[in-house]
Amino acid sequence: MKMLVVFEKFPRIRHIGHLDLMRAMQRALRRSGLPVKFSQGFNPHLLLTFAAPLSVGMAGKREIMEVPLGSDVTEAEFLEKINAALPPELPCLSARIVDDKHPASMASLYAAAYEIAIDSEAEALRNAIPSFLAQESIIALRKTKSGEKMVDIRPMIFELKASGDNTIRCTLALSEAATCKPDLLMDALCAHAGLAARPRTIITRLQMYGKDLIPLEML
Amino acid sequence: MKEFSESKLEILLDTALKPARYTGGEMNAVIKPFDQADVSFAFCFPDSYEVGMSHLGIKILYHIINKQPWALCERVYMPWPDMADALRRENLSLFSIESRTPIRKFDILGFTLQYEMCYTNILEVLDLSDIPLHSCDRTQDDPIVMAGGPCAYNPEPLAPFIDVFQIGDGEEMMLDAIDCVRKCKAEGKSRLDTLRALAGIEGIYVPAFYEAAYHEDGTLKSFTPIDQAASPIVRKRIVKDLDKADYPDSFIVPYTEAIQDRSVLEIMRGCTKGCRFCQAGMLYRPVRERSLETLLKQADQLVNSTGYEEISLSSLSSGDYSQLTELCCELTQRYADKKVSLSLPSMRLDSVVKQSLEELQKVRKAGLTLAPEAGTQRLRDVINKGVTEDDLVRAVTDAFQSGWSTVKLYFMIGLPTETDEDLAGIGHVAKTVMNCYFTVPKGMRARGLRVTASASTFVPKPFTPFQWQPQDTLPQIREKQAKLKDILYAIKGVNFNWHDPELSMLEACFARGDRRMADVLEAAWKNGCRMDGWTEFFNYEGWTKAFADCNVDPAFYANRQRGEDELLPWDFIDAGVTRAFLWREWQRAQRAEVTPDCRKGCQGCGLQRFEGVCRK
Repeated sequence: MKMLVVFEKFPRIRHIGHLDLMRAMQRALRRSGLPVKFSQGFNPHLLLTFAAPLSVGMAGKREIMEVPLGSDVTEAEFLEKINAALPPELPCLSARIVDDKHPASMASLYAAAYEIAIDSEAEALRNAIPSFLAQESIIALRKTKSGEKMVDIRPMIFELKASGDNTIRCTLALSEAATCKPDLLMDALCAHAGLAARPRTIITRLQMYGKDLIPLEML
Repeated sequence: MKEFSESKLEILLDTALKPARYTGGEMNAVIKPFDQADVSFAFCFPDSYEVGMSHLGIKILYHIINKQPWALCERVYMPWPDMADALRRENLSLFSIESRTPIRKFDILGFTLQYEMCYTNILEVLDLSDIPLHSCDRTQDDPIVMAGGPCAYNPEPLAPFIDVFQIGDGEEMMLDAIDCVRKCKAEGKSRLDTLRALAGIEGIYVPAFYEAAYHEDGTLKSFTPIDQAASPIVRKRIVKDLDKADYPDSFIVPYTEAIQDRSVLEIMRGCTKGCRFCQAGMLYRPVRERSLETLLKQADQLVNSTGYEEISLSSLSSGDYSQLTELCCELTQRYADKKVSLSLPSMRLDSVVKQSLEELQKVRKAGLTLAPEAGTQRLRDVINKGVTEDDLVRAVTDAFQSGWSTVKLYFMIGLPTETDEDLAGIGHVAKTVMNCYFTVPKGMRARGLRVTASASTFVPKPFTPFQWQPQDTLPQIREKQAKLKDILYAIKGVNFNWHDPELSMLEACFARGDRRMADVLEAAWKNGCRMDGWTEFFNYEGWTKAFADCNVDPAFYANRQRGEDELLPWDFIDAGVTRAFLWREWQRAQRAEVTPDCRKGCQGCGLQRFEGVCRK
């Protein structure tokens, strides 16, 4: 069996990178005494997969990982043991037993919702949203490992709105086929609003989704 | 006055290099309400987070202080230079990791002194915290600045900056010290009276209560107490029963990888081999072991509370631990299911290692590090490193047969009496190691032999038989390094590493410096020197200018032969080993005469004077 787990990464530890976070989880699982599984080979490592890495600097409200287990554990027992082994900044919120054959969350991933807290120029950005969305295409410059690439991000924006005086909420494509990172969206929106520099933001990933925007953990 | 603002800090973190160094929130960090503690202690390792988080001593004392319901201990590290500059630019105070409290608000700021080249960082941390650099300028509102650790055995170059030094084992002394501060605080005692009360604790040295006078030639003339509370001799503290000494049941597990990111068991303290260059071997006497039972209990607690994948056995000479094989077997068996591996640093070549090696190999195989220290038997005898070439051949052959293929060899250059023959001997040792590999049949040995020879520059240290001896000058060191390069580059498959001679020279100046070196330190820091232990930040010009500005000749400290009768700056400290023993050892060294391990017979080093600590 494997456990599909929803956890939170608090803003205080948002600077922890993906690999460090993964190691922290592996160590927590070791501390928990849960029947975890190890890879074969010379340097065995604890088996654990994340639906999607969270960028350095981002907090996460409902992050998802899958933990293969060697023997049966109830969901309540899993949550109790793992939370006793986790620091307060990294709690597990829910756990669901799924079959070993259950498709990996990573493969079902389609989109994610973000909240972007803006330090300054929030009003200008809020006001720019309607005309920004009215564009048929939004060409943005995406930097990748292999270089820079022009992409049309308009089809990857499923939702974009002001969610408070200084916050913006958006739902963006996040899958193997197409991904728009919130940073890329912000760059484009700031350019559209005519801002010379991008204001400082703190981004929180709120939720991940599968097809038809069904919450990933419910698939 | 510097302020602190959480929101301003958050902004700085967005652009800082490796911001996870500053965020805290790690597993097992102790969070207590700051205002409810009678005594608050900010513990500083004056180097980066990654280095500081690796240090065992702080883990022990952090645990001991926080175990007291009335006390609180939080951590602080030297911010990386980008962050130090950012804090200064924004006029933000340096803060503790746990509660992000400005360091100035703590009752005590404690530094651990592990190596001399972090001294500028101490000044940087004080300045970033808005605490006056000089003890004499501090007021009632400033923390009491303490320091301890191996470098505290010659505290003089830091004398003006530190209020209170703790000399010796910290477990009991730290409790005495914080309890004393607590009582003084409750009684409303002045800063001066608090320092007087602290000076009454065994092992504690308050530099402001002493005066140093110098001869015309610059040597020390006298060193005398000038306050009633100060004793002419400060005797180091010793934890008599290591098995009963407090040890952490959990370690803070950092998110970002520390240099040493594993569980550590201190299997014993002290070493009786008596290597004459080794300060730790002299300072941490006598040898005290922890029992197998205690260690297994501690291992269990650490494995369960940290989730670490590795346990490391720590001591100055693990091969001398009387139940090493039993311990290794038991640990590897117990944690095989949990895939926890075991590592064993500090193995000497003459220990019976094979079985321990085989145990280690069951789980994971790291490189093997061996320290012959010198290239010829004669020089190894001079330094009393009682290992022979046969020991080396046996150890590496065993290792190669057990599947190791990476060997690191540590040597020192510039040891007293060294000749060209000794340098050539280093090449010979490296070649011998390679030959041992090729004598193991192909099917039996692992592929990919890697031999690294590392040559550090010898730094004469206080409380060693070489404390009177000059260090090689910079040109001498460079010449020897060049010769070694020629010798080792000629051997195919050997990598060669060496150290910056300038850094070793500065280390030597501070290791045996007096109070006048404090001026040089302050001048260097004002010239922008900090993080001197990091090659990318080491600013030698800043140091040479500091020496010149202070009119101090580094050669006086580094390259001068001291006389038998010279009063040395650290002579007021009773470190256990006596001056007479050290001088006797120097005489034997010159005759290349080996002194046996004192477990085989007392060598009269002086520890017997401490009641009930030394096994006869």
